[in-house]
Amino acid sequence: MKTNANALSRGLIRCHDCGHLSKVNTPQCPVCNGHLYPRKPKSLQRTAALLLSSYALYLPANVFPIMTVTRLGAGEPHTIIGGIFALIDSGMMPIALLVLVASILVPMVKLLGLSLLVFSVYFHWPINARLATVVYRIIAFVGRWSMLDIFMITILVSLVNLGGVAQVIAGPAATAFACVVVLTMFAATSFDPRLIWDNPNAYE
Amino acid sequence: MELAACPECDLLLNPHQAAVGEKAHCPRCGYLLQRPSKQSIERTLALSIAGLLLMLPANLLPLVGIKVLGTSHDGTLWSGVFTLFSEGMWAVAVLVFLSSMLFPLLNIVLSLLVSFYLHFNKPNKYLSHWMRWLQHLKEWAMLEVYMLGIIVACVKLTSMSEVKFGLGLYAFIALIVVTGMLASHLDGYLFWRHIRRLNNKS
Repeated sequence: MKTNANALSRGLIRCHDCGHLSKVNTPQCPVCNGHLYPRKPKSLQRTAALLLSSYALYLPANVFPIMTVTRLGAGEPHTIIGGIFALIDSGMMPIALLVLVASILVPMVKLLGLSLLVFSVYFHWPINARLATVVYRIIAFVGRWSMLDIFMITILVSLVNLGGVAQVIAGPAATAFACVVVLTMFAATSFDPRLIWDNPNAYE
Repeated sequence: MELAACPECDLLLNPHQAAVGEKAHCPRCGYLLQRPSKQSIERTLALSIAGLLLMLPANLLPLVGIKVLGTSHDGTLWSGVFTLFSEGMWAVAVLVFLSSMLFPLLNIVLSLLVSFYLHFNKPNKYLSHWMRWLQHLKEWAMLEVYMLGIIVACVKLTSMSEVKFGLGLYAFIALIVVTGMLASHLDGYLFWRHIRRLNNKS
């Protein structure tokens, strides 16, 4: 099974969609008519640009209130972290941990992890390629779970809509946070993990 | 036989057809290359029909409801999107609409189309387009994340009111199970092989 050679070094390009191997310089896949490219086009630039935008939005997402809970006329804005503390206060430790992981840790790990991967490829850092690929795989997998907070707010907003008695209104951080999730997901898909293996200083 | 390559590390591989129940990993980076399932096409077809049927009650019936001061409020998938939109949070509303309603639906419809044509051995010039969209869409259908959101929201609400589960929630959970099974039974490697065969035939 093992041949120990990159497909590209043997003059072959794998179709991103159907997996068919074609010779270099074939513009279109003969099987599925998809565009062919040896590596995702401008992978590092795109990933870096999306990451920078996500970093910029990560701040307002955590500083501004993500929702405002109004009870009997008195409004109480909640930030993401504030919401976690509210859960801890009401004794919901496991749920608080879940929200902490999904809304704080996952976006942070994604941003830092992808940045490190981009740096390691760009500066040819001597890294363990297999480990870096596993890190990439985890980042690509966990990204969507950050939407948890957005979905929770959607449900609260539609249910708690009782006029003066109680009302939940989504705050500006919700848009910023949703953008962070979407942008980091795009960043993960625009990064080409094969670049890790193209790095001449990487080892297995 | 043709050669193959690992999508994540570009290692050139000799083709190897994994048996049902077997998993083929890339020897260099550990990527899961193939995980063939028994009767992949037939099961995909059956599961997508089941998913399509569940889509309607899951989208229209109330998922959860609360009861405060004698009045009860029900929430459906759609009412969340609508309320966000009317509050001026249109960007979030669009994102929630796409990831909890449109993309799950498209995911099921595309699986149905592809498996239907493969099962009845009919060539169609759009087959590879559908398959490609299906692969790109998969990540953006987030029903199971929404379910987690429902759980957290219910925990937050129990302190202020009585929470009731609606009929739609059962359909929604069933839909999550079906889409999960769909993802594990749809063998992309096998599907592309059949699409190639059908394209050559036409």
